[in-house]
Amino acid sequence: MQMRKVCKRFGNIKALDDIDLEIHPGRIIGLLGANGAGKSTLLRHIIGLYLEDEGECVTFGCEAGKLGPKELVRIGYVHQEGELLEWMTVRQLIRYVSTYYPNWNRELEEKYVADYEISMKARVGSLSPGQRQRLAILLAIGFEPELLILDEPAAALDPVARARFLDLLLQIIQAENRTIIISSHILSDVEKVIDHAVIMKEGRILLDCSFDELRERFSRVRISALGGELPTELPFENVVHCQRSDGKAILTVQDCPREKLQEQAKSLNCWVEIETLPLEEIYKIVVS
Amino acid sequence: MSILTVNLKHLYQRRGLWLVYVFLGLFAFAGVVAPLEHPGAGKRHYIGLVALAFAIGLLVAVLPIEVLTKPFSYCLPGHRKVVRRFIFWVGVIANLLGSLLFLGYPGLNSGQLVLVVCSAFCAGLIFYWLGVGLAFGVRNSVAWIGLWPFVILGGGFFGLHIVIERAIVGNPFGVILVGVLSSVLAWLWLGDARLARRYCGVPGIGFFDAWNRDKVQKYRQVRAAKKWDKLKKHPSPWVETFFLGRMNRYDHVSTGRYIWGGLYTTFGIALSQLSQWKAAFLSVFSALVLVCFLGYMGPGRNILFIMPGLMFAQMRLPVYSSMLISGGRKERYRCAITLVITEAVLITVLATIVAALSLPLAAIMPDITLRDITFAFHAMNIELFFVPLLMIPIVFTIQLIYYRKPVVMMVLIMLLFMVLFFGTSILWREQLSAVINPMYIVSPVVLSWVLFTVVLRYICMRRCLVGQGRTN
Repeated sequence: MQMRKVCKRFGNIKALDDIDLEIHPGRIIGLLGANGAGKSTLLRHIIGLYLEDEGECVTFGCEAGKLGPKELVRIGYVHQEGELLEWMTVRQLIRYVSTYYPNWNRELEEKYVADYEISMKARVGSLSPGQRQRLAILLAIGFEPELLILDEPAAALDPVARARFLDLLLQIIQAENRTIIISSHILSDVEKVIDHAVIMKEGRILLDCSFDELRERFSRVRISALGGELPTELPFENVVHCQRSDGKAILTVQDCPREKLQEQAKSLNCWVEIETLPLEEIYKIVVS
Repeated sequence: MSILTVNLKHLYQRRGLWLVYVFLGLFAFAGVVAPLEHPGAGKRHYIGLVALAFAIGLLVAVLPIEVLTKPFSYCLPGHRKVVRRFIFWVGVIANLLGSLLFLGYPGLNSGQLVLVVCSAFCAGLIFYWLGVGLAFGVRNSVAWIGLWPFVILGGGFFGLHIVIERAIVGNPFGVILVGVLSSVLAWLWLGDARLARRYCGVPGIGFFDAWNRDKVQKYRQVRAAKKWDKLKKHPSPWVETFFLGRMNRYDHVSTGRYIWGGLYTTFGIALSQLSQWKAAFLSVFSALVLVCFLGYMGPGRNILFIMPGLMFAQMRLPVYSSMLISGGRKERYRCAITLVITEAVLITVLATIVAALSLPLAAIMPDITLRDITFAFHAMNIELFFVPLLMIPIVFTIQLIYYRKPVVMMVLIMLLFMVLFFGTSILWREQLSAVINPMYIVSPVVLSWVLFTVVLRYICMRRCLVGQGRTN
């Protein structure tokens, strides 16, 4: 999937601003950003529900706006709106949707239905938000898509279901050439599965790199004086944030290799601990 | 800013309401002009504004209910009474102004006039509380406002307004007593904490939400989730087997699969209902009743061919669906056009059959005399069969363009309805229908389909299909 110089406007709002993005198979990509950052807009461009004003968006070698059944049978999409056919029973809806996909996996369907306790006899309209979301996920993964796009997929799931869902994603990605793009605000969940992060703000991509690289870029250094006070000037570079109190300091450092940090720490007569930042903290630093 | 002031803002902030005010204003104008033109006592022209109080009550009560249904609104401690104050004072002021009309009531001395004005004020309050009661008592009562013109016309036909005017003028003390009692009861009832609790944070359909599919869908979901929905409608097994079988006949990349899928999701539930003998019998029976009723409506019977188009305004084409199946934009386009053609043909055939039923009935149906007016049965103008074919593509064109602006959509469709209703009523009198050239009919029908196809293709191929992009 490639996006080149993609721009999209909704009236006066620039929803996507000069987006360049390339997504290769075999990855789980976390698409992160505040509300209105342009995540859903970007995802909808990938599957051709939105058309770009400028630039080019290509999915599976085809212009996204011209995607046909050949390409779309390879894409699964769980959307924010949660639109389903309310008047069908769950069984009927699954049968209806599966008719469109030649490679629908009945075994996977049965396993998922059993694991997630989905009632096949229930009417779709009477499902709770969590059950609806589980059903929407099943409909998106049942045909084992090569590209799975998840737009806020876990928002209505309880913690246990969310954990199962993350396991499921890891199972899905085991198959060759599968790609998952997940957009979510629950960063603590996302960071358990993604191997690539794309952070957006106001329609622009602020950061696009592998998750390992991202985690290495940001570190937290906890310093405690072994006796007396900490030196006024701490010998660390690229400090993003510093909090000091009573002989202790917590520093957030950007773009400074761990080895260098350890070397700098040795010069201090203090107890120093270097740790990796959680995704939530990294995200806050990047967007601010 | 006080909460009461904020509440009052609802009365002008919602632009859709302005249209309602225009209608209310026109009715109020007629209510004022009628007694000025016919000032005689007992001529039943003074009652318009009193009756209008019912609609005002309904409207004024529905607005705070909409606010109540949102979390953290008047459900907070100390805020509950705002609703009562708001409704009460609007009622008092509106009816005070309305009752002043009775100052011109002829044949009364000044003392009697004051008494009659008080009586009219209380009568207005009674009507007003009825409207308020309906709003609070019946869930999603907004739909009832559509019946109001019929109640007015029906009441007028059966002389209800004479009875009310006589009661106001002839028995002022009784009316005042009932008015005061009803106001006290309404005051106590509106202050009841249980009433607020019933609505606080519970999703409902607001004044203009009936045309907002997203809200209606959300509301239905919530209701269904709470197991209130007892209907349990879903496709019958034979319907499912039939449509899925048809879909499976086509290749996975073939448009045929998507067209049959679209037909299934559009007609599946209706076919399932009709396949039950009760529903089928009810449909035939309703058709017969409809024919009998419309036959006595004079030129208004042409509504038979216009109403279906109006009903289809609520039907959803699979263009703006965010439920992704493997069909692309081209499949959406072809599926939508097939659906609309199928619907138009079906409706045309059904309306024509119903119209044909009226032909033999015309010979046997008797004339009916009601309050000195004789109603004769007329067969439907079967030559109007083309109207659904003309109307349905226009309705869907409006729906496609104004998908996210339901009020504009509704107004335009109502306008179309009126143009066609009055147009056919005027043109299809015998003298004129004879001179109408078939080309005059074929041309607009063809044009409407061309317009629909062009708009549909443009939207399917060049516009955003979900979310905010639908309007851009």
